[in-house]
Amino acid sequence: MDPIVIIGIIILVVALIILLWFLSYYNRVIRSENRIDNAWAQIDVQLKRRADLIPNLMETVRGYMKHERETLENVTKARAALMSAKAPQESINADNILTGALKTLFAVAENYPDLKANQNFLQLQDELTHTEDKIAYSRQHFNDSVLAFNNLIETFPGNIFANMMGKKERQMLQIPEASREVPKVSF
Amino acid sequence: MHMEQQLLIEDHIRKNKRDTVIICVLMLFLLFTFIFCIGVVIGAPPIISMMIGLPVAVIYILATYSMSVQSVISATKARPANPNNREEKMLIYKVEEMAIAAGLPTPKVYVQDSHDINAFASGHKPEDAIICATTGALQLLNKEELEGVMGHEMSHIRNRDILVMTITVGIVGAIALIAEIMLRSLWFGRGGRGKGNGILFLIAIIFIILAPIFSRLTYLAISRKREYLADADGAYLTRNPEGLARALEKIKNDLPDDPKGSKTVASLYIANPFKRALSDSIWSTHPPLDERIRRLRSM
Repeated sequence: MDPIVIIGIIILVVALIILLWFLSYYNRVIRSENRIDNAWAQIDVQLKRRADLIPNLMETVRGYMKHERETLENVTKARAALMSAKAPQESINADNILTGALKTLFAVAENYPDLKANQNFLQLQDELTHTEDKIAYSRQHFNDSVLAFNNLIETFPGNIFANMMGKKERQMLQIPEASREVPKVSF
Repeated sequence: MHMEQQLLIEDHIRKNKRDTVIICVLMLFLLFTFIFCIGVVIGAPPIISMMIGLPVAVIYILATYSMSVQSVISATKARPANPNNREEKMLIYKVEEMAIAAGLPTPKVYVQDSHDINAFASGHKPEDAIICATTGALQLLNKEELEGVMGHEMSHIRNRDILVMTITVGIVGAIALIAEIMLRSLWFGRGGRGKGNGILFLIAIIFIILAPIFSRLTYLAISRKREYLADADGAYLTRNPEGLARALEKIKNDLPDDPKGSKTVASLYIANPFKRALSDSIWSTHPPLDERIRRLRSM
């Protein structure tokens, strides 16, 4: 066979391999980025769910806690701030203030035995705590996804493809105060 | 450290998925070779054995695959969790939280009536997975411990362990059964005589004798390795290895009193429901609890 044909075939094969390689990286970057957006959507759903539960809680609590106007107002204010927050980090901060306000409210509720015996109240308390845990975990998943994405586009050879695709590092959500520590894992 | 950690987790989940495919193919190959050897021993021409062996192996695996979830649920007498019961609602909550942390769809939640503290996951892929906990676990574990156990189960789902275990359990069972029937009928001299190739006949016989042992040991080794991995990944999901460590401690101190279901599903549970092996053995489905607790505490 003609040497030129052989060289041509080799070049073609190499080009094909590079193309396939690029495609697989392209898909990985896109998939990884979509996961971040999806993770944010998850957080948003939980934040909304939480804000929706508050009016119910207020309705239940109002009859019992007549002299705790300040505590109740703080919760209402924090909820309003959460509803009007736009940027992700802003929402997370507002949610954190709401968590604090609710914690005070539940602590004060300890002084009202009638309220504590109210099934509706107990259920709302359970559900609000559960949504709070869900928010914490979806935030954790968001940051895990951002980290995976950043690692992918900053390490070799991903950084070359990311540059060609114009992908930039994404920001993690800052978790205010008592954040969970990552355990050291060995395999 | 965070950075490297994440890289590790991502990479090893990918590696685990790849291993899963390799193990399933190897198991398929093992079953195929086994059926082929049976053919040789009963005197069928190699081509015929091959033509029968491959479809039988594939059909068998597909059947195990499609029936597994329902058969596990009925073997363990599990029932769907009731959201009106406060304990079971807590279980649903914890499963939801772990699914969010792992970024997976929420599995269906089941409860098994038993005084034991135990839990298992089943299914083929995350989309159709189930998680089941015993009523004993719901009563005796606190929130943090339950969360640790659910993190472990969620990691089994994420690592595709449930698929590997379902398929290996099926194949190990099939090989053991066929080998026993074969060897018995050979013993009583009712099996045919291999024509012609004496060496091939001998190799086939040896393979038939060794295959059940070999397949069982492989399956046990895979099972133990994946338990350690699920512990580590579960701790990564909850960011709290101590929760799972304390749950395992409670399991260790709470000796099983009424094991339910069959031994074939024993490897699916977080701890072996039949006996608590305290020492390491190549014959156990799970690593010893003490060692698992030690590893969790050293994270």
